[in-house]
Amino acid sequence: MRCGGGPMGTVLAPDVQPVDTTRARRPDASGFIGRDGVRVFWERYGDGSPTVLLMPTWSIFHSRHWKLQIPYLSRLFRVVTFDGRGNGRSDRPAESDAYADTEYVADALAVLDAIGTDQAVVVGLSMGAGYALRLAAEHPDRILGAVFIGASVPILDRPSLEPEIQVDPSFGEPQTDDPDWGKYNADYWRRDFPGFAAWFVGEKIFTEPHSTKPIEDGVGWTLQTDADTLVTVEYGAYMWPPGDWERVPGEGRAIPFARRVRCPALVIHGDDDHISRLAVGERLARELRAPLLTIAGGGHAPQARWPVIVNRAIRDFIRSLPEASNDGR
Amino acid sequence: MVAEARTYTRSLARRRRALYISSPIGLGHAQRDVAIADELRKLHPDLQIDWLAQHPVTAVLETRGEHIHPLSDELASESAHITAESSGHDLNAFQAIRRMDEILVNNFMVFQDAVEEGEYDIVVGDEAWDVDHYLHEHPELKRTAFAWMTDFVGWLPMPEGGDREAYLTADYNAEMIEHVERFPRVRDRAIFVGEPDDIVPDDFGPGLPQIRDWTEQHYQFSGYITGFDPTPLIEGRDALRRELGYRPDERVVVVTVGGSGVGEPLLRRVIASYPEAARRVNGLRMIVVAGPRIDPASLGATPGVEVRAYVPNLYQHLAACDLAVVQGGLTTTMELAAARRPFLYFPLRNHFEQNRHVRQRLARYGAGRYMDYDASPREVIAQAIAEEIDRPVDYRPVESDGAARAAALIAPLI
Repeated sequence: MRCGGGPMGTVLAPDVQPVDTTRARRPDASGFIGRDGVRVFWERYGDGSPTVLLMPTWSIFHSRHWKLQIPYLSRLFRVVTFDGRGNGRSDRPAESDAYADTEYVADALAVLDAIGTDQAVVVGLSMGAGYALRLAAEHPDRILGAVFIGASVPILDRPSLEPEIQVDPSFGEPQTDDPDWGKYNADYWRRDFPGFAAWFVGEKIFTEPHSTKPIEDGVGWTLQTDADTLVTVEYGAYMWPPGDWERVPGEGRAIPFARRVRCPALVIHGDDDHISRLAVGERLARELRAPLLTIAGGGHAPQARWPVIVNRAIRDFIRSLPEASNDGR
Repeated sequence: MVAEARTYTRSLARRRRALYISSPIGLGHAQRDVAIADELRKLHPDLQIDWLAQHPVTAVLETRGEHIHPLSDELASESAHITAESSGHDLNAFQAIRRMDEILVNNFMVFQDAVEEGEYDIVVGDEAWDVDHYLHEHPELKRTAFAWMTDFVGWLPMPEGGDREAYLTADYNAEMIEHVERFPRVRDRAIFVGEPDDIVPDDFGPGLPQIRDWTEQHYQFSGYITGFDPTPLIEGRDALRRELGYRPDERVVVVTVGGSGVGEPLLRRVIASYPEAARRVNGLRMIVVAGPRIDPASLGATPGVEVRAYVPNLYQHLAACDLAVVQGGLTTTMELAAARRPFLYFPLRNHFEQNRHVRQRLARYGAGRYMDYDASPREVIAQAIAEEIDRPVDYRPVESDGAARAAALIAPLI
């Protein structure tokens, strides 16, 4: 098997396995919640306070994308993760409606209920930042604080007032051989899913040098789902404000969510993010009136590539929360 | 009632304090690190050493009454990971450490908490890969002087890993070189436990420096550190044999794979070689040490072979024996070299350190006979036992001042 065109793809592909070797920290509890016949797998670690909910992201990854945060944060706080629909041990429903962001938010609430947690700090990566944003905006009573990492949310102003679409029609059509973003295409995914994984993870997510291990992990997680599932996920509704929310024409549709967030927030964003550029993180921070931690020279997944800095930033943020000031060590 | 109490000690009222990290991988670092600690205390009698350590290092430290930092309980087990990564007589050491990223991040975070809570003057890291790597990634987190030690430099690919492993080892080496050259302030001392001649004659990868040249430029050399003085063992060998119950007319072979679960197939194969070896060597007595993780009963009973679960003071048996059969780990093979005993060593398949770095060092001392596990069925082992058991030992003497030399390099930083 040869993945992708770059040297990384060539080199990394042959041995990519969904390996789950020794974990630094084992969960204290785990289980499934079920909603409308869809089972979602969760894990809980540690018994500190407050609870930190590490959200799922786009279904190319499952909850192991937090593997470098869980051991540290669970020493200080109570940590809960769950595999998002479409990957890991959670179900892979066949309908796009089951992958709407509202479903991930409802899953998150069901997981919090299952572990008996009223309130949590939520942390999300990329699309997971969008799920976290919706959760914080719509359920302020459940969320103490929110951290948005490499947020991939439609928050920038749109140049035209044409009706907004989520998925470009070209996504579903057979593509020619654009060697770059042409690979973000349903037809290509079905023809060469490993090639897509190597390109997206190896060239777009991790732009930093010396990133072979997180790339290998990410490709391995991606190969635990499949093209058809990911195409189905793509058409799930993402970041559409409810019809009765007031909107300003031309504004990104994530903005009404950001403006409804009442809890403290932190935005972390790489300035070499090739998936969601820094301007997104900057705008999100501005709308949230939240501090922005820019990782200069960093790519789209700093929690995996710069775990020490991200762990410390999350810790300091949680310790700064008024509700949590006397909790945690 | 005080809500939060904190003490700030003025600098000249502070006792000298070191945080010592001894790698738990490979079981052999504890002995040399306590030897260095003893030498450091000679140079700085007021030095307080806290050990951030995990099993099996803690076992050695506890018997000596050393102070183990309470955060040590929060360390994730590196040795359990390494054991999980091995199977049969095989351990891809590079990939095993690479796949330990989650544990290394966890343990660095624990380390950093320990450093930030304590007023340490220095951190000594004996192959503390996490500390060295993440301090170079985040040099602003450095709070103390840092002395780094290792007995090998350079990740080397094994042939089975093909182009992919060659690419990955070169990438890891390149990152390490970039780190060290960009941030020379991170390692206040870099100590190579050995001499320049112990360094492999390889480069770090395509377009990268020769390992020896680069290491000579960036390290100081302590010589090898056994952690014990072999002289009494060598001079008192006859008495030691009597004490251990080895008769003068017996030819004793001690077979051990150390304390890990790795190596059971080797034990089986060496046991199977006994009948043939006994035909060739009069009075051959074979003692097999199963260790804590291998059930002696599972190895089967062969007449003439004694299988023991545990042998106290194994090093005495190794010093008293006529021949040892071991894996290719540095500590045990160098103990045998220091005690001047003949031995066969079988490096684990795909273990770059045992097959490349350790082999290079043993060749310099002229110590031991390298054995390829895959090319050594029982009759080959039997023949090797017969050939080696009477071979005169003409090893280059192993230095005995390594711990003092290392301490002399570290002490000025404290």
